[in-house]
Amino acid sequence: MSLSINEYLNQFEAHQQAIAFLSDFLGTDASGIMTFLVFGAACFIIVNIMALVGGLGTYAERKISADIQLRQGPNRVGPYGILQFLADGVKMIMKEDIFPADADKPLFNLAPLLALTGVFATLALVPFSSGFTLVNLNMGVFFLIGVSSLVGVAVFLGGYASNSKWSMLGGMRGASQIISYEVPVTITALMIVLLSGGMSFGAFVETQGGLPHEWYIFHNPFTFIGFFVFFVGMLAETNRAPFDLPEAESELVSGYHTEYTGMRFGLFALAEYIEVFVLCGVGVAAFLGGYKVPFDLGSGALFIDKLGLPVIVGKNIGQVLQVGSFVTKTLAMYYLVIWVRWTFPRIRVDQVMTICWKYLTPLALFNLVGVAIWMYAFDAHSIWEVLGQAFSSGH
Amino acid sequence: MASYTLDVYMPVLILMGLSVGLFLVSVFAAKIIRPSKPSALKEQAYECGEDPVGTAWSNFNVRFYVVSLIFIVFDVEGALMFPVASIYRKFVEVGEGGVILGSLLVFISVLVVGIVYCWSKGDLDWVRSFQLSEDQVKQLQGAEKRS
Amino acid sequence: MFENILFLSSAVLALSGALGVVFTKNLMHACVLLLATLFGVSGLYAVIGADFLAAAQLVIYAGGVIILMLFAVMLTGGAANNENKFGIDKVAAMGSVKTYIYAGLTVLVMSFTILKILANYMKTFEQGELAPFESTVEKIGTLLVTDHVLAFEISSILLLGALVGAAAIARPRRG
Repeated sequence: MSLSINEYLNQFEAHQQAIAFLSDFLGTDASGIMTFLVFGAACFIIVNIMALVGGLGTYAERKISADIQLRQGPNRVGPYGILQFLADGVKMIMKEDIFPADADKPLFNLAPLLALTGVFATLALVPFSSGFTLVNLNMGVFFLIGVSSLVGVAVFLGGYASNSKWSMLGGMRGASQIISYEVPVTITALMIVLLSGGMSFGAFVETQGGLPHEWYIFHNPFTFIGFFVFFVGMLAETNRAPFDLPEAESELVSGYHTEYTGMRFGLFALAEYIEVFVLCGVGVAAFLGGYKVPFDLGSGALFIDKLGLPVIVGKNIGQVLQVGSFVTKTLAMYYLVIWVRWTFPRIRVDQVMTICWKYLTPLALFNLVGVAIWMYAFDAHSIWEVLGQAFSSGH
Repeated sequence: MASYTLDVYMPVLILMGLSVGLFLVSVFAAKIIRPSKPSALKEQAYECGEDPVGTAWSNFNVRFYVVSLIFIVFDVEGALMFPVASIYRKFVEVGEGGVILGSLLVFISVLVVGIVYCWSKGDLDWVRSFQLSEDQVKQLQGAEKRS
Repeated sequence: MFENILFLSSAVLALSGALGVVFTKNLMHACVLLLATLFGVSGLYAVIGADFLAAAQLVIYAGGVIILMLFAVMLTGGAANNENKFGIDKVAAMGSVKTYIYAGLTVLVMSFTILKILANYMKTFEQGELAPFESTVEKIGTLLVTDHVLAFEISSILLLGALVGAAAIARPRRG
C-alpha cells in the first residue's frame, strides 16, 4: 500500500511528465510544489465530499427515521426531498448571531472551530482505497484517537462558554462521556493492532482479505465481540443516541449547544455527522475488511492481465472498485447507526458510566488478552484456517 | 520499517487550515446577509421561559474529576501498550511470541488490579450510595442499646 | 521546505500559547492556550522524526490532561476568582522591577563576554539534507520488551499507584 496519494500517483508516467513540465516552466525542482498541489487538491475534494456526506447524512437520518416511524419525511425540496439539506444550510447561514449575555466570547467562537478542526484532521487518515488514501501514517489509529479527542474539549468549552446551566451540565456530561468511552475504544484498537502487526490503516486492511471469512470480525470469537464493543463505544464517542444525553432534547433542551445559533450550530452538527462517518470508516477498516474487494479485483491485476487494458486504466479501475467497496460498507454501518438511534430509548447518565467502566472496559480487556493468547497458540491464523487444518490433517 | 519524509504531515495541516477557513468564511464573511438586532431579551440564557437565576458556574460534583483521573491512567496504559502490540505479530511469526505475551499479561493484570480496586471502592458508581450495610446497621443499633 | 513550515508553525504555536498562558488573566483561557502549546510541542516532536511521541503527546496531553485541568478548574469554582494575589508588585520578596532590569542587563553583558571567548572554539557545521525518517514505533516496542522490560513493568505498577492514590484523595467523603 502506498504511503500517500502522492506516492500512488508517482508510479504513473503522466505524473512524472507533469513534474518535468512544471520544473521547466518554473526553473526550479517542482516535485515539492507538485506534492503540495496534489495534496491540496485532494484535501479540497475530500472536504467537499465530506460536507456533502454530512448534509446528506441529515437528509438520510430524517428519511430513515420517517420510514421507521411510518411517516414521509422531507419530500418537498427537490426530487424526494433530496435538496433539503441545502435549504437547511442556507437557512442556517442567514440566522442571526446571538451572543448570550456574559458569554465568554473567544471560547464561544472557539468551540465549534475546535470540533471542526479535530474532525477534519482525521479525514487525512480514512483509508478510501490503497491509492486514494490521503496519507497512510505509521501512527494511523493512535493519531486518530488523539485528534478526535479535540472534540471532547470542544464539547466542554461549548457548554462552559455559553453561561447557561443547561449548557454547563450538558458540556460536562458530554466531555466525561467522551473520555470514558475512549478507554474501551483504545483497547479494542489495540486488539486489532495486535492482529495486524502495525498501527497504520494500511496494515489493518492489507492483512485482511476481500471475502467475509477473511475479515477480522470473523477471525476469532474475541474480535467478534470486540466489533460490538467498538460499535457501542463509537456511538458514545460521537454523542449519538442512545448515548445522546449531552444533547438530550427532552432533558437538557439542547445540552452544550443550546445557546448556539445559526452557522456555529450548523458547524457543530456538521462535525458530528462527519465524525460518525469517519469512525464508521475506522470500524470498517479495522473489522470489516476495509477497501478490499472480493477475488482480489482491487489490485487491477485482472484487468491488466486478462483484458489487456493499459496499466494506468487497469489500476484505476481497481482503485474505483476499492473505493466502492469501502463506501458501501461504511454507508451500511452508517445506516445501522441511524437505525439504532431511532429504535432504542435514551440511556441515563449513571447507566452510561456503568456500561463503560463496568461492562465495556472489562470486556475489552478480556478480548485483548484473548486475542494475544489466540495469536500465540494458533500462530495468528483465523478460526477458519485452524478448523480447515484440523479437518484436512484428520483425513 | 517504513521510511517517510515529513511531507506525510502536509494533508493534516492543509485540512486543519481548510477547517479554519470554512469556519471563518461561514461565520464571519456571511455577516453581510445576516440580520443583527441584539436585544437584552434575546441575549438572556435560556431557562425554559423563566428568568435565569444565578450564574451557571456553580460548584459541581467531584465524580467528574474522579472519572477523568481514572481515564488518564488507562489512557497512558493504552499508549504504553501500543508499541509493544505493533511488534507482537512479528515476534509470533518468528516463534518468540511468549516473550511479549508474558510481559503484556503482567502489565494488564496489574491494571486489572487497579480497576478492581476502583470498582470495589465505588469510584465507578455515578451515584455514590452512602447506605450502610446490614452489619453496620446492627452494630450501630447494638452500640445504641448498650449506651 | 515543508520541514521549515512545519517547524515554524509548531514553534510559533507553542511559544504564543506559552506566553498566553503566562500573561492571561482568565484561568479558562489559560487552559485552552495550554492546549495550543501542547499541539505545538507535538508538531515539534513530529519535525524531529519522533512520530510515536507526537501521537502520544496528542492522545495523552491534548486528550486527557487538558480535560483533567478543565474539570479541576470547574471543581474549584470556575474562573470567577480572577484576582491575582501573586504579582511582581504585590509580594515584597519577589523583588522589584528595578532589580530585574539590573539582573537582565548583567546577564546580557556576561553572556556576550563569555560567547566572545568561546567563539574561537565553536565550529559551525554544514547543513545537509535530512535522510528520510524511519518509524520509531517498532524500535520502541522491541526495546520495551527486550532491554527495558523491567521499566515497562514497573511503569504499570507506577500507574497502579497513581490510580489508587488519586482515587483515594479525590474520593468524596461522607459528611
